[in-house]
Amino acid sequence: MPTGAKFVVEKQAFLKSLESIGKKNTVIGPVLMDDGEVTFEPLKSFKKLTFDYVNDFDPLKRFLTPAKENLFTFNLEGRKPRLKAADDVKPFILFGVRSCDVQGFAHMDGFFSGAYSDDYYWRRRNNMTIISMACNKPLPTCFCICCNGGPWLESGFDLQLTDFGDRFLIDVGSNKGKKLLDSLKLKLVKAKPEDEENRKKLMQACDEQMQPTAYLAKACIMITNNRVREELWQEMGDECFSCGGCTHVCPCCTCFDVQDCMIDDKNGVRFRCWDSCQYAGFTHEASGHNPRVKAKERVKRRFYHKLSYAYIKQDGHPGCVGCGRCITVCQAFNLLDISAVVKRLRRDGAIEVETVEQREAAK
Amino acid sequence: MENLYLPQLSIIDKIVDETSDTKTFTIHFADREYNKKFRFKSGQFVEASVFGVGEAPFGFASNPNRHGSFDITVRAVGAVTRAMHDMKKGDVLGIRAPLGNSFPLKEVKGLDILIVAGGIGLPPLKSLIDPILDARKDFGRFIILYGARTPADRVYKPILEQWSKRKDITLLQTVDNPDDGWSEHVGVVTTLFEKIKLDVKRTVAYTCGPPIMIRFVIQDLLGMGFPEDRIISTLERYMKCGVGKCGHCAIGHKYICVDGPVFSYQQIKRLPER
Repeated sequence: MPTGAKFVVEKQAFLKSLESIGKKNTVIGPVLMDDGEVTFEPLKSFKKLTFDYVNDFDPLKRFLTPAKENLFTFNLEGRKPRLKAADDVKPFILFGVRSCDVQGFAHMDGFFSGAYSDDYYWRRRNNMTIISMACNKPLPTCFCICCNGGPWLESGFDLQLTDFGDRFLIDVGSNKGKKLLDSLKLKLVKAKPEDEENRKKLMQACDEQMQPTAYLAKACIMITNNRVREELWQEMGDECFSCGGCTHVCPCCTCFDVQDCMIDDKNGVRFRCWDSCQYAGFTHEASGHNPRVKAKERVKRRFYHKLSYAYIKQDGHPGCVGCGRCITVCQAFNLLDISAVVKRLRRDGAIEVETVEQREAAK
Repeated sequence: MENLYLPQLSIIDKIVDETSDTKTFTIHFADREYNKKFRFKSGQFVEASVFGVGEAPFGFASNPNRHGSFDITVRAVGAVTRAMHDMKKGDVLGIRAPLGNSFPLKEVKGLDILIVAGGIGLPPLKSLIDPILDARKDFGRFIILYGARTPADRVYKPILEQWSKRKDITLLQTVDNPDDGWSEHVGVVTTLFEKIKLDVKRTVAYTCGPPIMIRFVIQDLLGMGFPEDRIISTLERYMKCGVGKCGHCAIGHKYICVDGPVFSYQQIKRLPER
């Protein structure tokens, strides 16, 4: 079974098998709660599992970078403090992840790698197996097609499911996925060309239902070259409540704060927690100096990180996967979600500015 | 995999009062082997922890050629720095180091060296001055300009005294508000430029201090005809992790903690926010 292999399997058989291995392993999946909302949580049984969902409002990055995560505990008794790094993480399966969130994981994988590889991230990531679910139907806020975020993917998952009603089309995306599929001991049928045609049709139908747009190119160019009218940033800064909601729900936002907290007289913990570049305190220095004291500077910062060429080149991807959560969360009457900002920049038009190169040439 | 966020336990060997609100801490790592092997470069920095209070970044203030211990100079301005000021010899800190890039040093051999420091900006530059003095003959003229608010606000007063006596260093000091005993210059540090002659073509300038001072120093150096890649400065931002992850110190797509803190003006001028 090579990576890239495609199979068709009976849906109920797949779920039954996954439920049975779920008795020994943690399986996290979409659950219908009493209030009618759908959220991802560890499945004790598959009774509450639902397929009637598009996405969890709470971004699934929380399973890799929890809103609050202990780095280490310390004990201050005796001459020398004793430090203890946070406990290891047990393997878990994330079932039913939408494509946009899988792309979000890919974005975070890149960010948390490199010269300073973040082991707190990787010990969760390496223990996570992704079974993603291609989207047959978008939410009114979805725009993944603008950001290479879906509705289905070619890579990034361990297994990808496409819902054919009574059957799943399964894409094997990695060795981890292959192992998991083997352990499910299912009767697999190799996918036929008509199965792939079927998926294409489903995905195209989903594509056609997408409502918001984020035609990024012009906004990227304007932001990269600092060709956005300063007054427009000012307007957006005036509208922003600096609530930080957009950054907290964003699958690509990774900023965190680090704090110490005493549990009792002698024992304490150092933890990290989500932080937001939209908070005035984010850049507030002990001296009182604050380079981004104005909301306008902070809004500008957010979109520079999301859409500038400098960052796209560094990350290999814009800082958006089109999940649409910022559309849902924005308190400022949807004036400042990424789709709205991209549209506002595009319609406002680029201003003429002298680049560093032009200034040099003029000398 | 190495844990980026777990500090090394470190012991305070010595604390020296520099000014009314600034102290220099000499520190070594509790782990003998780690301490023996530990090296850093001029311009790099540490994240120092007071357990239960938090962590803050400080530039190395001692000679990288000195092994076995290092210095940081700390002004009490925030929670962590105030807690450090309450500590005494033998107390334990957490240290993560070395972090960040470093001052170009080998690359500038043979050139004249100009150091322009303001207030608490002198300590990080001291990690550069010391190794230059160790290999003094490898460099041309050595000029140090140091400005502070008052004579008492100057750090390293005994060391400044030593430097001022050396024939192979030109040290000029200035203060904004002199006291009765002050016999040297009065005014902002850039007013010292009138008192020195520089061979701009063969000089490299290093500057560190308050952001407003750095801005005027760079402006004047450019005015004198300094090439942009021969003006070296450090940038500072509120910082948490020190390893390019927490996002606080980003300017454009550069992170002060890993891409800096040392930048040439050629790099600084391309940053979208400065």
